[in-house]
Amino acid sequence: MVVRQYNEELKYLEKISAHCWRIKKGFQPNMNVEGVFYVNDHLEKLMLDELRNACRPGMVGGFLPGVKQIANVAALPGIVGKSVGLPDVHSGYGFAIGNMAAFDIGDPKSVVSPGGVGFDINCGVRLLRTNLWEKDVLPVQERLAQSMFDHIPVGVGSKGIIPMNARDLEEALEMGMDWSLREGYIWAEDKEHCEEYGRMLSADPSKVSMRAKKRGLPQLGTLGAGNHYAEIQIVDEIYDKWAAGKMGIEDVGQVCVMIHSGSRGFGHQVATDALVQMEKAMKRDNIETNDRQLACARISSQEGQDYLKSMAAAANFAWVNRSSMTFLCRQAFAKQFNTTPDDLDMHVIYDVSHNIAKTEEHIVDGKQKTLLVHRKGSTRAFPPHHPLIPVDYQLTGQPVLIGGTMGTCSYVLTGTEKGMQETFGSTCHGAGRALSRAKSRRNLDYQEVLNKLEAQGISIRVASPKLVMEEAPESYKNVTDVVDTCHAAGISNKAIKLRPIAVIKG
Amino acid sequence: MSYANVIRKLKALGYASPESFNPIREKEFRNMVVWLEDQKIRIYKIEERAELRKLESPHWMNSFHQYCTDVGLPITLLTTPMEQIEWLLGHASRLDYADNVEKYQSQTADSVSNSQSSVPKVVSTNPLDNLLFDSPEFKKGVASLAEKLKIRTHPDQLVTLEACCKLIAARLNEDALAHPEFVIPKGKAFPFMDTDIGFNLGDPVLNKAAKILNLLYIQDLRSLQTKINEAIVAVQNVTANPKTDTKLGKVGF
Repeated sequence: MVVRQYNEELKYLEKISAHCWRIKKGFQPNMNVEGVFYVNDHLEKLMLDELRNACRPGMVGGFLPGVKQIANVAALPGIVGKSVGLPDVHSGYGFAIGNMAAFDIGDPKSVVSPGGVGFDINCGVRLLRTNLWEKDVLPVQERLAQSMFDHIPVGVGSKGIIPMNARDLEEALEMGMDWSLREGYIWAEDKEHCEEYGRMLSADPSKVSMRAKKRGLPQLGTLGAGNHYAEIQIVDEIYDKWAAGKMGIEDVGQVCVMIHSGSRGFGHQVATDALVQMEKAMKRDNIETNDRQLACARISSQEGQDYLKSMAAAANFAWVNRSSMTFLCRQAFAKQFNTTPDDLDMHVIYDVSHNIAKTEEHIVDGKQKTLLVHRKGSTRAFPPHHPLIPVDYQLTGQPVLIGGTMGTCSYVLTGTEKGMQETFGSTCHGAGRALSRAKSRRNLDYQEVLNKLEAQGISIRVASPKLVMEEAPESYKNVTDVVDTCHAAGISNKAIKLRPIAVIKG
Repeated sequence: MSYANVIRKLKALGYASPESFNPIREKEFRNMVVWLEDQKIRIYKIEERAELRKLESPHWMNSFHQYCTDVGLPITLLTTPMEQIEWLLGHASRLDYADNVEKYQSQTADSVSNSQSSVPKVVSTNPLDNLLFDSPEFKKGVASLAEKLKIRTHPDQLVTLEACCKLIAARLNEDALAHPEFVIPKGKAFPFMDTDIGFNLGDPVLNKAAKILNLLYIQDLRSLQTKINEAIVAVQNVTANPKTDTKLGKVGF
């Protein structure tokens, strides 16, 4: 990292509009393109403070500040357009979380980087609607929360209740949600309302290590820990009633279920295995990066292709995982209300992936190009009329599900044409951390956090209460700030706001 | 360009055995050029054709190139024998047509198919086939049907009839009449005309037309997706067997 005084660093940053900053070339060495990040006044302060802290003498170790990471990504071979930081950006492994970057597949030097996808491959959010209203669930809120908790195993070492053997897993890795469909866990319409239709065709389970499969097998159908959760939510505000209508959301007070989970230990192992391979590939092909954590390999190389195939298998794992939990949620609701999921109209509104790399067509400098788009802590947000979004959302744009922090609120946005042009059809993914996990544990008391949620009328079921403070709202940026910035910058539009009444987590 | 085209043109020009002709074989190619010039094109006087007729001469290609220039064949564009022969055949056909305009003018597609004995004559048993679609009675009938169904008429009565047919098939079939709730869309209509279509054709009328086409396209897509979903459900009826076993469950602490 280049060490300069904070004031010197600021010379490389330029505010180009009310919500957008440019990172000029030279901020980090060898930048091939410029960087850009989206913030409002409040987030801007957090962003610049982080940089200022890193500039203090004696600051070594830990992650680099987000701006520096965005700039380092801009120095990777084959990157096109800009390295984009979304409003919820914060430091992560190599790539910042909330960073998207696109690489030209036509350029033989272009790379794929596991750090640009993240360890929780295809971590994502799924939203189910119901035809229930707040008054229907409030009297049974606690029982419903308990029922969800009983159905969906949570926590670090949790094991799922859907029986699977090794062969089932192999098939699920290859087929993604088609496996869940075949086995009858989900509805045909679920597939329709899912990014990539719930299956990456490039998946090749034979590229995945035995170790990953062993870790993954018992974990299917479990929520996991960390920031993952299942929430019962109430529609709190509708900003775009037509878009909401297309999603089956009629009015304020309607009950929804949000599931935020990923590929569990399976994805983590796939990423770890790939990083080892990539280090070898970098040496062989003389790929130089600014940060060791930005391990990568040429897309066309054996290591690059192997990673993409195993990443696709992990993505399929995550979709099957969310599908299994969809099945379990429907069971929990059906039992509680003594009816069927069909009668409760428990349709999937949409399912987004916010840790993934995908091959997409984009217009770069007036030319159509095939790009490998890395989105880490960033959600795809395609505009109306895009061929890859479901027919039901052709007029509204793709629904973008933004999971908030435990006990705050969540949002549904829609993709825009401007986002397509400026950020390769990408937007934010959630609140984004403000405090590190360790810092949260030091500064907050878990009982206080739980009491506060209770005071807000939120039922909570957690496997390990002592980890709750890591996920307390205080540890995160304000999701409303993040979403409002995306809306104001025009890279996505606000459609619906949801607030939780019950939280299940690890 | 194709071999079938060449044969068809040769037949039309009255060549004796068109099927056996192959322009790749040099001798046949040269013969054909001479035949076309002698019989059809006749751009040279008879005595000027001498050079071209020396089929075995080593300088034949030179005379052929000269011939091409004279007859107007763009030899730099058409480099293969096949292309060259096809051009010459086309040229010959045009000349033949120009010589006998009156004879060919009466040959419409209908009269040709009538005269062709190989087409079997089908006697229609469908009374609709005997309707006169252009008769004033028919036009009036369609117009009054459209009026009853509240469909705007199109200048072509057949288009109007098609629209009527679509509406009847979709909305007035037995199922639809018995369960109108399945076919009549519920809820408020999406304000489609107010939304951004993502492009601008620079003319409000064109934009509106494009929006309507877009909407029809989306409707097509929807019905395709519905069929896909139905197919998946049909397969699920055979394969689905969801199981859960709560004994397997374990919460991690």
